[in-house]
Amino acid sequence: MATESSEGEDEGKVTGGNPVLIVEDDLREMGKKAAWSVSSCKPGNGVSSLRDDNLETYWQSDGAQPHLVNIQFQKKVKLQLVVLYLDFKLDESYTPSKISIRAGDGFHNLKEIKTMELVKPTGWVYLSLSGNDPRETFVNTFMLQIAVLSNHLNGRDTHLRQIKLYGPRPNPIPHQPFHFTSREFINYSSVR
Amino acid sequence: MEAILVDCVQNSLRHFMYRNAIFMCERLCAEFPSETNMQLLAGCYLHSNQSYAAYHILKGTQMAQSRYMFALSCFQMDLLNEAEAALCPPNEPGAEIPNGAAGHYLLGLIYRYTDRRKTAVHHFKQALSADPLMWTAYEELCVLGAAEEATAVFGEAAALCIQKQYLPHGSASQSLHTSTEDRGLASSGNFCPGADDASPRQLKHMQGNNQRDIPGNYHGATALGGAASQPSNGGSSNISFYNTPSPMASQLSGVAPPPLCRNAQPNGPNQSIVTVDSSPRSTVNSTIQAPRRKFVDEGKLRKISGRLFSDSGPRRSTRLSGDAGANSNVSATMVVGNGTSNSSKYLGGSKLSSMAFRAVTIRKVQSWTNENIDEGIRNETFDDSRTNVTSTTSSLSPSGDTKSLEQEGTTIPISGGIMNGSKVISGASEILGLLRTLGEGYRLSCMYRCQEALDVYLKLPHKHYNTGWVLSQVGKAYFELVDYLEAEGAFSLARQASPYSLEGMDTYSTVLYHLKEDMKLSYLAQELISTDRLASQSWCAMGNCYSLQKDHETALRNFQRAVQLNPRFAYAHTLCGHEYVALEDFENGIKSYQSALRVDARHYNSWYGLGMIYLRQEKYEFSEHHFRMAFQINSRSSVIMSYLGTALHALKKSDEALVIMEKAILADKKNPLPMYQKANILVSLENFDEALEALEELKEFAPRESSIYALMGKIYKRRNMHDKAMLHFGLALDLKPPATDVATIKAAIEKLHVPDELQDYL
Repeated sequence: MATESSEGEDEGKVTGGNPVLIVEDDLREMGKKAAWSVSSCKPGNGVSSLRDDNLETYWQSDGAQPHLVNIQFQKKVKLQLVVLYLDFKLDESYTPSKISIRAGDGFHNLKEIKTMELVKPTGWVYLSLSGNDPRETFVNTFMLQIAVLSNHLNGRDTHLRQIKLYGPRPNPIPHQPFHFTSREFINYSSVR
Repeated sequence: MEAILVDCVQNSLRHFMYRNAIFMCERLCAEFPSETNMQLLAGCYLHSNQSYAAYHILKGTQMAQSRYMFALSCFQMDLLNEAEAALCPPNEPGAEIPNGAAGHYLLGLIYRYTDRRKTAVHHFKQALSADPLMWTAYEELCVLGAAEEATAVFGEAAALCIQKQYLPHGSASQSLHTSTEDRGLASSGNFCPGADDASPRQLKHMQGNNQRDIPGNYHGATALGGAASQPSNGGSSNISFYNTPSPMASQLSGVAPPPLCRNAQPNGPNQSIVTVDSSPRSTVNSTIQAPRRKFVDEGKLRKISGRLFSDSGPRRSTRLSGDAGANSNVSATMVVGNGTSNSSKYLGGSKLSSMAFRAVTIRKVQSWTNENIDEGIRNETFDDSRTNVTSTTSSLSPSGDTKSLEQEGTTIPISGGIMNGSKVISGASEILGLLRTLGEGYRLSCMYRCQEALDVYLKLPHKHYNTGWVLSQVGKAYFELVDYLEAEGAFSLARQASPYSLEGMDTYSTVLYHLKEDMKLSYLAQELISTDRLASQSWCAMGNCYSLQKDHETALRNFQRAVQLNPRFAYAHTLCGHEYVALEDFENGIKSYQSALRVDARHYNSWYGLGMIYLRQEKYEFSEHHFRMAFQINSRSSVIMSYLGTALHALKKSDEALVIMEKAILADKKNPLPMYQKANILVSLENFDEALEALEELKEFAPRESSIYALMGKIYKRRNMHDKAMLHFGLALDLKPPATDVATIKAAIEKLHVPDELQDYL
């Protein structure tokens, strides 16, 4: 998770982007269990392009700002990281410049938890949802909303090429308060 | 013309030229349509792995041998109902099962895979009593959990059975030889009960040849056999004698034993095939097919060529050589290769040094038997194994294990007629002795009494211990004891002993997975795939490799491939289940585990997997039931016991849970988990002192385990001993737990201070 410079509590500026997607081992992608929806889209560039693992396809919005991507889970999940793939070189005025991430139980009580300013991003942009406090490493929520508040060069609509959502891996052994770290425990902890 | 064609076909089969054999055989069937010839054609197809062709050819045939071969093809095509109907016609409940022990074995397999365990067990036992050297039948019994002690099965009765097979034969052979050609024909006619009468002309041909040689041999045999030479008796005894070999063939992979025709031939050919069998059932399937076919054809060949004794020779020798050190799978290939050589050659080649003395006896026999006694006939591959016959004397060795080698001692009565009564007895007892040890070891490991199994295997002579099969079993035993380092050692020795063998390699890959040796695991997987791309074990190893790197989707794909290649391989299903669970797809996980259990109801890993899923889904009663089933199968596993305890605790039966935890702690001193779980249970029962005691003990065991300190910190926090709590939380954090735990622990630390702060403010 490089090239992230988040200064301050809420706002941060991100320049550039990472050409590769590398996340820590103890995180896993959570997006498969969610229902994804968008506020508007151009036919042919819909929400599925956000999750198809194809960086050539993109979602193009088709309405008024802010453009929203809504991610809803059936149960509360712990989320730690949002990664977006953006490309200023290809999308220019469609590239988002200000992004706000909100979380809550549903549309009625979303609260902003992070905002980010992007400057000509090209590649994977990592947005960590953790607070400074180690107790706030995760956001435990039913719903996440990624809002594109403004674009580069004052573009109206926006392109997002891919979104990935990461949370912690669950304990491989159920009903355990803590993870096991030592070899002896792990060897005996399951039958394969 | 018919004779020439038949001879040509058999010759081609012997030389593994299947296309030639098929072509010529089709001409034969067109010119002289008869059921025997159809059997020969079907046999050719079976040899070249085209069982669907054999299926269509033999559909509707009634001769015993045809029914057997038809059932075999049905089994290979997974048409179990038809296979069963062929072997046990529903409108003839009293009909005799074709091919005796081999037929029983095939029936046993059919019943096993159609979930009729009791009948399957019954048939396997029948097969074993008919042919005590049918190792694969005993293996199946062990897997089904219904095996008796090896000493009983491979004991006195078995020895007598073997002797009966050989000795009367000897006398019979004498009679045969001494008899005129007619008699010979008659006897040969007798030999192939199922077959149409192979042209007597053919028999005569062979007989002519043999009789010259044989009489001399038989003299010796007569002395031994001491039986009245009555051609008919001889014939019948021969037939019965021959019958036994067929079961051996079945060993091959649980596939139907060689056709009855084999009967005519002494164990030789069968035996070789049998050795192949020793390989594990599951893996054997694909490989075995080839060897079995051979037998089928051989039988036919025998009938046709009229060579009475050719079987025993080549097969046995091959088997023997095959046995040497190779897994049964390997032996199959070895057998094939050896087929053509004389048994004596085999002897020389065979790794088993123990055979040495036998070889001597065999060689002597060989010198007497000049030609191709049987060997050639039966084993297509083994042509003129006359000498083989001698080697095959050990014929009883269908039991694929190295034991077959021991069989050498038992001279084949048929082949050289040199079989001495004493040799038979001594050979039989040696073979049985070896089978006893191996059988007992295998049975104990199937009952998961692994330490005892290891002790039994250590009793084997060095040369047998250092064979692929035995070392794999040793590795598996260590694996079940959760001693992964020893297991790894044993498996790597097994790889060295037989690098081409795939049996047990799936377990080896799991051992490497547990040891987190990703380099070795990927190397193993690559090697296995390059050895055999169509074997389930190779793909299991590959899947384990990906799973170790947490790429569960690719691992799942690989395991699914393994399942496709062999749906009767229970472990592949179980591994699929594990991957589904890792991907949190519990529905499919349950389905996979249940498929594994359909194949092998004693596969405790699947019961455990189901228990874990239900534990995650909080369906505690289901979870407890499944863990209990796993526990019943493997009562020594401390891991299963500790999970059973966890499930019981979740059901609020905490006392029972604690009892089981104590048992688990005692069962395996090296397993720290039950003690930890015990502490967990005690904490939830608010029995903090005992919990702390247990955790203190555990600290000695595994000083670098962060969860111990975390739990202790939690207890001290509950007890309001804040400084101790802080200390332990700090220690826990130092040991670098994953992020979730860090968050939890730090949150706990923060809360620790609150009371103090409150006090400050007050």
